[in-house]
Amino acid sequence: MNRTCALLLLTLLAGPTARAATATVERPAGAVDPNPIIRAIDERQRNQGDWKALCYMEAKEKGKTDVVYELLVYRRDLANQQLFLFTKPKSEAGKGYLRLEKNMWFYDPGVGRWERRTERERIGGTETRRGDLDESKLAEEYDATYLGEEKLGAYQVHRIELKVKPDVDVAFPVVQLWVDQATNNILKRQEFALSGRLMRTAYYPRWKKVYSESKKGDVWYPEEMRFFDEIEKANSTHIVIQQIDLRSLEANIFTKAWLESKSR
Amino acid sequence: MIATDLLVAGRNLLRHSRRNLFLGAAIAAVAALLVLFLGLVDGTRAAMMESATTVMCGHVNVGGFFKITSGSSAPLVTDWPRVMEDVRRLVPEIDYATIRGRGYVKAISDSDSMDLVLSGIQIAKERRFRRVVQVIDGKLDDLGQPNTIMLSEKQAERLKVKAGDALTLSAPTARGVNNTVDVRVVAVMRSIGLLSNIFAFLPEESLRRLYQLNDRTTGAIHLFLKDPAQAPQVMSRLLEDLRRAGYRVMDHDAQPYWMKLFAKVNSEDWTGQKLDVTTWLDEVSFLDSILKVVSGLATILISVLLFIVVVGIMNTLWIAIRERTREIGTLRAIGMQRTKVLWLFLLEATLLALAGATVGVLAGWGAGALLNLADLKVNEGLQMLIMQDHLSVVVHPRALAGYVAFITLLTAVGALLPSLRAARLRPVTAMHHIG
Repeated sequence: MNRTCALLLLTLLAGPTARAATATVERPAGAVDPNPIIRAIDERQRNQGDWKALCYMEAKEKGKTDVVYELLVYRRDLANQQLFLFTKPKSEAGKGYLRLEKNMWFYDPGVGRWERRTERERIGGTETRRGDLDESKLAEEYDATYLGEEKLGAYQVHRIELKVKPDVDVAFPVVQLWVDQATNNILKRQEFALSGRLMRTAYYPRWKKVYSESKKGDVWYPEEMRFFDEIEKANSTHIVIQQIDLRSLEANIFTKAWLESKSR
Repeated sequence: MIATDLLVAGRNLLRHSRRNLFLGAAIAAVAALLVLFLGLVDGTRAAMMESATTVMCGHVNVGGFFKITSGSSAPLVTDWPRVMEDVRRLVPEIDYATIRGRGYVKAISDSDSMDLVLSGIQIAKERRFRRVVQVIDGKLDDLGQPNTIMLSEKQAERLKVKAGDALTLSAPTARGVNNTVDVRVVAVMRSIGLLSNIFAFLPEESLRRLYQLNDRTTGAIHLFLKDPAQAPQVMSRLLEDLRRAGYRVMDHDAQPYWMKLFAKVNSEDWTGQKLDVTTWLDEVSFLDSILKVVSGLATILISVLLFIVVVGIMNTLWIAIRERTREIGTLRAIGMQRTKVLWLFLLEATLLALAGATVGVLAGWGAGALLNLADLKVNEGLQMLIMQDHLSVVVHPRALAGYVAFITLLTAVGALLPSLRAARLRPVTAMHHIG
């Protein structure tokens, strides 16, 4: 609990204070093989079966009123299928995203039309991307380099840099991770553009686990995520994931017809 | 004979000078309004074309879409030098041609951010652009330097930047990878219609760098014709000729490229390159409804006013006939034919309309010129309607005679019924008339 509080405090102080706290590199780059760490992160979050969660996203944008979205997240990881169904606020209720393999579809009941979108698109115009609500595939998508060992607030962390593998499409080609040495939980993540500019910083102050029948083991997930836009400094999104249900979902959930039926 | 008739008709008009003066003034006012409203519609259309063909497209455009996967498309023309070579060969009507990169970015300054539609230009080759664009801060030629940008005055105001300030542009590449480029504002241009408040300009090379494109890839080829009126014919012919030359060309769809990108191309199951040939009117078709509203409003207003004038003419002639019934009877009794009576009354109405309409269209023309001279700035609500931030009235002098003829003819038709009534009066009945 104390560790969680410490990280929450660190998140709230995100920005210069947090960056200053991570400045000390205690172990040189290359001293540790980062690949087992990355694989461990992926493995801890891997589910194999179906996934349903209730999700709240609070989006803050400069010059706009804060908006809190409530959405249901459905996943079928083995088939690369995902479905987001917005339930609140009223203006967004019924809108949804459906991912079928590499195709991402957006449905707006207001116009009754499906639009194909890029799977790296921001969800609902917030700082959140589809991948943030998916299982971790770091080892599959990135090559890792160990940057060093650091202190992140009260935590002893591995700092790892990830560079996208050739011919893999991701939103951010370079990512840096701060991984808790004690738990292998990601505590902080920074994402960079092709130009090398820092685009987004994410903090994961709370991790939880849930037992998965299909995996026959625990599945770890970040119960809370905070994303800060580093280009437009005033923009941020706070995500809370609740009510995880790993029981098998109906076979027809990942279809356009199902989403349309829920949007009526 | 006609001269005598004109003299008689003129004297009759002068005899009832007060009544006819009011009616003539009403006709003149309607004629002036007709000139002003139609001038405003033409001004809106001219502003739209000038704005569109300067800011966003050529008279004819060879754009296209490239799809890496069926789900991700980008407005790109690959191997543009080969396409350009073929287009130049196929379109002898070309005055000159340029290439433009197409993009959509978030621009972030120290104070604010906004979405911009980007146009990557080669400033040295943009003849029309250089002629039309007025720079109010900075230098247009500096846009030839890498990592520079030109904004409109509204964009600069919104982002709170001036020439010399820095901006960050952020956008995903065609593969969806986020990228940024830091640019320096080198020029702020005077607004040329609403489109110029949406578009910003940077060197094509910088746009390529942002989107990670090679030298042989661009957004579209803009063709400027010697005669812009030929655009639809050139577009249709070029589309077929490019197909015959072996290119994959999309069927003509009168929509701007960005509408196709979001609503159509992304949902289609194909990959690779397809060209898309459009005219400038297709690219601004999303503004067409606004133009139709302006034209519709002008038509309704003018129709109502013309109806009132015609009713006024009819009413005046009814009164005149009633007042002059005995006179008509006398004229008929001494041998004047019915057709002559009809002719005289029609001539009176036509003369009145001709004089009123001539004065009116000249007044309208003058008022339009004064409005242009005053360079009146309009509020944002009206800007949306007339697509200009300054009121501009375009009156074609050759059309003025047409307006006069139209109003005169309409008035004459309105005068036909009362004139027929006058001609049908029996001489005995007319001479016994007391009134």
